[in-house]
Amino acid sequence: MGGSLSTAVDIILNSLVLGGVFLIVAIGLNIIYGLSRVMNLAHGSLYAVGAYAGYSIVGIGFNYFAAILLAPILVAAVGLVLERTIIAPMRKRSMIYTLILTYGLMFFLDGLIKYVWGNEPRFIELPTMIQSTIPILGTQYPVFRLVMLLITAAVMTGLMLLLNKTKIGIILRASSTIPEMVSCLGVNMKHVHIGAFVLGCALAGIAGTIAGPLTTIDPLMGHEMLISSFVVIVIGGLGSLRGAVIAALLVGAVQTLAEFFITDLAMVIVYMLMALILAFMPRGLLGEGKFE
Amino acid sequence: MDKYLTLPDKQPGFSLPKIVVILIILASLAVFPFVFTNRFYISLINEMLIYGLLAMSLDVLLGYTGLLSFMHNAYLGISAYAVGLFLIHISPSSLWLACLAGVLFTALVALPVGWVQVRTGGLAFALLTLAFGMMFHTIVWKWYSLTGGDDGLMGMPNPAISIFGWEIANSGDPTAMYLLTLVVVTTCYMLTRRIIRSPFGAVLEAIRENEERAAFIGINVRMYKLLGWMLACTLAGVAGALFILYKGYIGPTTMSAFAGAGVLMMLLLGGMGTLWGPLVGAAIFIYIQDYISTMSEHWEIYLGIVVVLLVLFMPTGFVGLGGYLKRLRRS
Repeated sequence: MGGSLSTAVDIILNSLVLGGVFLIVAIGLNIIYGLSRVMNLAHGSLYAVGAYAGYSIVGIGFNYFAAILLAPILVAAVGLVLERTIIAPMRKRSMIYTLILTYGLMFFLDGLIKYVWGNEPRFIELPTMIQSTIPILGTQYPVFRLVMLLITAAVMTGLMLLLNKTKIGIILRASSTIPEMVSCLGVNMKHVHIGAFVLGCALAGIAGTIAGPLTTIDPLMGHEMLISSFVVIVIGGLGSLRGAVIAALLVGAVQTLAEFFITDLAMVIVYMLMALILAFMPRGLLGEGKFE
Repeated sequence: MDKYLTLPDKQPGFSLPKIVVILIILASLAVFPFVFTNRFYISLINEMLIYGLLAMSLDVLLGYTGLLSFMHNAYLGISAYAVGLFLIHISPSSLWLACLAGVLFTALVALPVGWVQVRTGGLAFALLTLAFGMMFHTIVWKWYSLTGGDDGLMGMPNPAISIFGWEIANSGDPTAMYLLTLVVVTTCYMLTRRIIRSPFGAVLEAIRENEERAAFIGINVRMYKLLGWMLACTLAGVAGALFILYKGYIGPTTMSAFAGAGVLMMLLLGGMGTLWGPLVGAAIFIYIQDYISTMSEHWEIYLGIVVVLLVLFMPTGFVGLGGYLKRLRRS
């Protein structure tokens, strides 16, 4: 290990990488919630499905970068089926039922993962060209983490362009505030709901394939990510996209720091932070439902 | 929560035939261990009663106040650990003091958590129960020196059950524990029923039906939500004390999210908003779990499927089945 500067650089980069993964998962959750008022508790499991799908795609001989493209499509397809069969009928009923239903779905998916891939942890084989390390300000930093960071940035930029510059984005943003009005203007809200859910699932799939090489892939990874992304969207404000960005970076930094100093109970520190923020700002940092 | 929950039809108060039926059920439960001396069935029914109490406490929160807690089992676990640690480290013979300490400790933990939770909306409340529940699970799991981590809390002493110095039985005796559980659960049920049917219960139901209107007529919504939460957590604490006395052991899996889903399913199976429905639901659930988990290792998949099907097709549970069939015939 080098001096304090290299440690600091390590921590900053690690927290950015971790925050980036949180961000993609949490944004997906927030898009689904903001557009169709469905809080999907199976989101963490879909993220795990993404990671396992990435593992299998690499396993049958594809390049890792191909997996990053293919796995989200697979997860999105799963999402489409789920939306049409069980999520859509829940819209007419109290939100509590949606929560319980997706909670059941989470256990179903987890059980399915264990059934298909087994209980042992898995690792995604990375291409050799990004397996090396690169010196940054006195620390040897793994190249693939930087690649992850780039992918995260690319995904976020793409999402921002989609939401702000295209007609689809305009429809989505409008539907999050006045769905009735958008419906009156001739947009089929059913398609908006489907689109939101599928988009959210695809994001979970991307995050899963990115996070796969960072940590080991095991059946419990979905639970941990679900809780982390809850923490992120509750701190940032439910349905608030900008809030999610700030909160994800904050939680990523706090968790990396906590893991650096007190390895075992790092998550407890994160929960404390969340409790503290909510005690003073019950609606989250940026308030609820600001879909922008 | 703008849309209402689908609840079973309201049950009217106690009528004479109902009292007779309840007394018969209670009497047969009390006589049970002396007729069937098979220890397996005694402990199975004991577990049903304890989880019934836990599911009932969740009903106070979800069926009456309209607040969803995903990990109510965490508070059962906290109380069980507190009772166990009290008996092991502080005083191995004072049973009642340990139970009191366990329940009080649970309430003490639940108070700040509830205080934070009720300040957020209905949805964030549910998400926070999951986050805090996971936090308690992690603490219990990782704090090896205090809780024994994965191995669980072991070496529980078996203090004597005594009333005013008169020793009745040892808490290691399953029949004695069974009867104690029966008495405590029955008392808790009657007490909770009384509380729920009081004006206080009516306020909770008003909050469940429409939070904004409740606030307009001058109800302090946050305070009443917190009171409902505290009632539910204290009852869960009582269940936890019974749990550790009956099992003599507690591990972190009792506090896991998976176990929490089980409690929710008991409530769904039985029917929300009835108090006695969850007791029925817990009995069915524990029986099925006992039956299936010995046959299949993929119990998680089945649990998931059953929860999804229940929510989709039978939201009122078994208790509401009668009213549902009646309505079906009429239409």
